[in-house]
Amino acid sequence: MQDLGFIVAAYGVILGGLALYAGLLLRRLAAAREASLRIRRQAESAPPAPDSRA
Amino acid sequence: MTLTRILGAVALVAVVGASIFALFIVPADVNQGDAQRIMYVHVPSAWLAYLSFGVTALSGIAYLWRRDLRFDAVALAGAEIGVMFTAFAIWGGMMWGRPVWGVFWQWEDPRLTTTALLLALYLGYLLIRRLTEDPYRRATRAAVVGIVAAVDIPIVHFSVEWWRGLHQGPTIGSPDKVLHPSAPGLFVIALVGMVVAFTIAWSWLMVRRYQLARIEWQIEEHGRLGRISAARRAALATSPPAGEPVAGPGVEGA
Amino acid sequence: MNGLRADAAVAWAIARKDARAELRGRQATVSTLFFAALVLLLFGFALGPDARRLTEAAPGLLWLAIVFGSLLSVTRLHQLEVEDGALDELARYPVERYAIYLGKLLAGFAVVLVLGGVLLPVVAILYGISLGEAWPALVVTVLLGAIGLAAVGTFYAGVTVRMAAREVMLPLLMLPVVAPLLLAAVKATTAALAGDPLGDLGAWLQLLAAFDLVMIVAGAATYGYLLEE
Repeated sequence: MQDLGFIVAAYGVILGGLALYAGLLLRRLAAAREASLRIRRQAESAPPAPDSRA
Repeated sequence: MTLTRILGAVALVAVVGASIFALFIVPADVNQGDAQRIMYVHVPSAWLAYLSFGVTALSGIAYLWRRDLRFDAVALAGAEIGVMFTAFAIWGGMMWGRPVWGVFWQWEDPRLTTTALLLALYLGYLLIRRLTEDPYRRATRAAVVGIVAAVDIPIVHFSVEWWRGLHQGPTIGSPDKVLHPSAPGLFVIALVGMVVAFTIAWSWLMVRRYQLARIEWQIEEHGRLGRISAARRAALATSPPAGEPVAGPGVEGA
Repeated sequence: MNGLRADAAVAWAIARKDARAELRGRQATVSTLFFAALVLLLFGFALGPDARRLTEAAPGLLWLAIVFGSLLSVTRLHQLEVEDGALDELARYPVERYAIYLGKLLAGFAVVLVLGGVLLPVVAILYGISLGEAWPALVVTVLLGAIGLAAVGTFYAGVTVRMAAREVMLPLLMLPVVAPLLLAAVKATTAALAGDPLGDLGAWLQLLAAFDLVMIVAGAATYGYLLEE
C-alpha cells in the first residue's frame, strides 16, 4: 500500500485514541461507582449528625 | 445499563468492520492513491467534532433555561468528547495532507483552519470549566461561553471560505474531491459506513461520559456538604449553644 | 417604548461613566497606546528591513496591534468596578442586563476607536503606506472592527472578571473568537489601500458587520447570566 506510514499514523492514532479513551472512561466510571457506593454505605451506618437540633 | 452495553458492543463491531472495509476492501483512489483511505477516518471525526459542539451549545442553552445540572453534564460530555474528535480531525487532515498536498498544513483549506479554531474554542471552554469551582457558576459560565463560541463557528467558516476563494485554492486534492471521487459507489459506502459506525461509538461515549459526570458531581456535592456540616459543627463547638446559627445551608464555596 | 428609552438611558449613563473613568486614568489609555505602538515597532524589527515586505504585511500588523491593544483596555474597563465592588452594586439595580452590556460596549468601542485612529497614521509612517483616497473605507473598517472587538471583549471581560486567572483567560477565550474579524478587517484594509482591485471590499465589510451584529446580540442576550454570580 502506498503512503502506508501516513495511513497507519492516521488510523492508529484515531482508532487507538478512541479505544484508549473508551478504556479510560470505563475505568473512571467503575472507580466513581465504587466511591459512590462507599459513601452511601457510610451514610447509612453512621450515627445521626451531632448538629441536628430538636 | 444493559441497553448501553448493547450500544457499546454494536459500536465496536461497527467501527472494526467499517475500518476493515475502508482499509482493505475499498479500492484505492485513482488520483490520491491509498492516502484517500484516511478520509474515511478524517471526515467522521470532523462531523462528530461539530456535532459534539452543537450538543454542548444546546445543552448550555437548556441549562440556562431550566437550571438542571444534568444538562450541564451533557454539555461537559460533549465538550470533552468533542475535543478528542477535533484533535482526530486535525490529525487526520494533516496525515492526508502530507501525501496528497505535499505539506502537513494548508492555509487555504477552510476545513483545516476552521477545525483548528474549533479546537482552540473547545480548549478555552474546558479550561474555564476547570477554573470555576462552584458547580452552578461553572455551569452558567460554561453555557454562556459555549453559546458565543457556537455562534462564532459559522462566521469563521464563511470567512475562511471567502479567504480561500480569492486565492484559487487547490481544487485538486481538496477534501471536496472526496465526495466526488472517481469510483463513486464503493467510496460512498465506505464513507457512510464509517460515519455511521463512528456516530454509534460517539453515542456510547456520550452516554458513558454523562454517567461519569453525574456520579462525579454527586461525589463532589457530598464532599462539599460534608465540609459545610463539619464547619457548622466546629462553629457550634466553640460558640455558646444559645447563639444564632452561624451559617445556613445556602453558603456557597468558591 | 418607554422601557426601551429607559434602557438606552442606562446604557448611555454607563458608557459615560466608564469612558470618564478611563480618560481620568489617562495613564492607562496612554500606556495601552504606547504598548500597541511598540508592538508595531517590534514587528518592524521582526519582519524588516525590506520595506516592500513590511508594506505588504502592514494591514495584518495594524490589526494585530489593535487586537492586542484592545485586550488590555477591555480588561481594565471591567476591573475598575470589580475592585470597588461596584459591579455587584450595578448588578443589584433593577435595570435590563443588556443595557449594562451595551453601555460597557460603547465605552470599549470608544477606546478601541481611539486605538485604531492613532495606530493608522503610525502604520502609515512606519511601513510606508500612503492612506490617500482610502480614508473613508479605512474609517469604516476601523469603526466596524472596533465594534466587534468591543462586543466580544466586553463579553469575555464579563466572563473572566472574577477569576484569578483572568489576565490569561481573557486573551485565551477572546482571540479564537475574533479570528474572523481579524481576517475580514485585514482583507478590507488591504482592499481599501489598493483601491479595491477585486471589488471585494464590500463583501469583507459586510462580513464584519455580520460579525458585529451576531456578537452584540449574543453578548447582550447572555451578559445578564454572568452578572448574577
